[in-house]
Amino acid sequence: MADPTTCPPLAPSSIAAAHVKIRPYIHRTPVITSRSLDVIASSRDPRVFLSENPPPTLASEDVERSRTPTPRFRLFFKCENFQKIGAFKARGAFHAIARLVEEMGIEEVRRRGVVTHSSGNHAQALALAASTFQIPSYIVMPSISTPSKIAGTRLYTSNVIFSGSTSQEREAVVNEVIADKDAILVPPYDHPDIILGQGTVGLELEEQVDEILQQQQAKNASTTGLDAVIAPLGGGGLLSGVATWFSDKAGTLVFGAEPSYQGGDDGRRGLAQGKRIEHVKTLTIADGLRTPVGVTNWDVLCDKHKLEGVYAVSEEEIKMAMRLVFERLKVVVEPSGCVGLAVVLFNREFRALCASRQQMGMREKEEEGWDVGIVFSGGNTTMKAIAKLFAEVEVDGDAGDEGSANAEREAGKIGMDGERRVEDVAG
Amino acid sequence: MADLSTCPPLTRASVKVAHERIKPYIHRTSIATCETLNQIASTPQCERCPNAGPNIASEPAPHGHNVSGDVLSYTAAPKVRLFFKCENQQRIGAFKARGAFHALGRLIEEEGIENVRKKGVCTHSSGNHAQALALAAKTHNVPAHIVMPTISTPSKIAGTKSHGANVIFSGSTSDEREAVIREVIANTGATLVPPYDHPDIILGAGTQALELEQQVEDLLAQQPDLGIRGRGKLDAVIAPIGGGGMLSGICTALHGTGVKVFGAEPSFDGANDAEIGLKQGKRIEKVSTLTIADGLRTSVGAIPWSIISDKEKLDDIYSVTEEQIKAALKLLMERAKLFVEPSAAVSLAVVLYNESFRQMVQRKAGEEGCNIGVVLSGGNTTMEAMAKLFAAPEETEERAEAKVGVNGERKAENVAG
Repeated sequence: MADPTTCPPLAPSSIAAAHVKIRPYIHRTPVITSRSLDVIASSRDPRVFLSENPPPTLASEDVERSRTPTPRFRLFFKCENFQKIGAFKARGAFHAIARLVEEMGIEEVRRRGVVTHSSGNHAQALALAASTFQIPSYIVMPSISTPSKIAGTRLYTSNVIFSGSTSQEREAVVNEVIADKDAILVPPYDHPDIILGQGTVGLELEEQVDEILQQQQAKNASTTGLDAVIAPLGGGGLLSGVATWFSDKAGTLVFGAEPSYQGGDDGRRGLAQGKRIEHVKTLTIADGLRTPVGVTNWDVLCDKHKLEGVYAVSEEEIKMAMRLVFERLKVVVEPSGCVGLAVVLFNREFRALCASRQQMGMREKEEEGWDVGIVFSGGNTTMKAIAKLFAEVEVDGDAGDEGSANAEREAGKIGMDGERRVEDVAG
Repeated sequence: MADLSTCPPLTRASVKVAHERIKPYIHRTSIATCETLNQIASTPQCERCPNAGPNIASEPAPHGHNVSGDVLSYTAAPKVRLFFKCENQQRIGAFKARGAFHALGRLIEEEGIENVRKKGVCTHSSGNHAQALALAAKTHNVPAHIVMPTISTPSKIAGTKSHGANVIFSGSTSDEREAVIREVIANTGATLVPPYDHPDIILGAGTQALELEQQVEDLLAQQPDLGIRGRGKLDAVIAPIGGGGMLSGICTALHGTGVKVFGAEPSFDGANDAEIGLKQGKRIEKVSTLTIADGLRTSVGAIPWSIISDKEKLDDIYSVTEEQIKAALKLLMERAKLFVEPSAAVSLAVVLYNESFRQMVQRKAGEEGCNIGVVLSGGNTTMEAMAKLFAAPEETEERAEAKVGVNGERKAENVAG
């Protein structure tokens, strides 16, 4: 790996420099907004919008003001699901490769090749970045990786090597490759070059939201920029990158979002106890976040000036957020990518914090709410995985039929009265 | 409905005027591109099937049922760059919002807002037009009565109700439906806003083509590498056809520009009435099909027919099987990350799997290749419907969800993403 001591400092200016280096190779992914999602997020109980007969989302005029203050949000979704290889990891990988080539020269890097371990998105990202510069890559993937991510990696390299899923097994295989090929390690997240690359998400998000707000000619001219940004937290490369970018913008708070299932919220628990948690064993559906926070990332995330806090959500809450993303925003985001929105919609602590801060801020301006950036980190999931997650639950034999009938109703195959007749049905 | 005799003529100029009318109420939906889909579309089908070796699709490519079976003979290699018009991200999740806002807008111009509010509006629709009219009516504070067949999907019914419309259910045949509509009109005096068989609807729907045309030009001016080198604009547009409101609107909008327009239909159980109708020179008036493309289960209306049967306006129509629609849907979701309903995937299915279409494109576009606009007409489906469509055997699912490893183990520790 490029020697950490020669890396640029973890500061916004370094992220700006990283952006210049990687811009020709990545997509400037869109930032999207949605009136419906704003109404849902700003309602007293967002869960009602996931019922059979959701209330209208035309305007917030019907929002009840209850005893518990309700936060108000305008959401801006940074769509890294549309990024090269379908996830933000492309940024870190291209930056790491660019810096290696700067440090060692392209010939040397080509001679040795690069190696990494990853269950999916970083694997594909590094394979793509390496092949773009005709650098051989060796990708160690745990055998539990999804078939589609393995196939995606194989598009760019023939050297996919499987290992067991524990860190010992993985490290052994990586060390073998280094010994054998003298390949250079490009880790998935625990390196400044990776952090700076991922931080470019924050840079673009800020620029794009400023453009949108200017176009909308916000009522209150003094409202500038994002009040908060939330990103999923796994190893911490993305979150520490984004936190670093906004570290010199006092008005923008950065939050992390984690799955709580089986201890996936190691970031939150580690911060609470003041000590990094080193091992995580979880089969959360947020399969990109099944890893503890890395050492370098930990240092960034401990800094209260950079990261405001981390919040966790359940598997059900992740699924509910995912449903809204697909059915309302009409975009495909993998479960890990929906964790940020799940926190905004369903995490009581987070919502209470936002509501109280918003009330405090009301002295100066009209009750306007917060502009919140949410990072959709990736979209690498499959129809099969979605089918498994959202298949009708069968309670017993009869319910199985009913479940299947519901799905047939959803597909428009059978009428409310059980008939299967149709003629000239206009769309 | 706004009197036919007072409607603007069906011309490109009228579509431009229609666009100005509806702009404040609709989204200028984005254009998406996807390098992976460009590569798949530009690869011959014989090279895409799994037994031909490693390939980009990494999925078996389904092939038409009318072929003797030898996929290796599908050698057409058109060179295409695809530009997706994301009407799945339109108001109410489908392009129908355009026609509804335009029709209601014209009605208000003709009769005055007070009259229109007094009488209200009504229509029959299985989903997208129902939601569209409900939204347009609510926006102008006009009462709306929507007749929906009982076969409509629950989510589309809920969507229509959520905009405050009065929903009345009917049977799914045209006789049953017409009886109910007549009753509604008799009881309320409401004005009928039909789903597709009216110039105002056609002109409204056509506005998406104006946007698509301009957006692609703008995009290629900034990033020429996204398209065929040196072209700078669209060569063709392909869109799904059910009642024909959208397709005829697109034909009208692009008439005289040199951009070729193609239609895409499901073939299941006679859903390809337009394709067959064109071949036999006569409009087919009744269609009864349960194709998964649930927005396209209707025959072409009389007015749309007069446009699409004009060779100067529409080049041709091609059809695809249910399996081909599913495969295209899967690719749109998994590669382009776009959530669309099955009807919306029909256009891409033709581009990827209809060998006649592919041969035609290769012949006409040659070595140079062409830029094709692909309309994604809507995104109104649910996770349950997708789950049902793509359910897989137990073992394969757990691998897809990363719950079990290649060797059957269920252990994961510190697995970096």
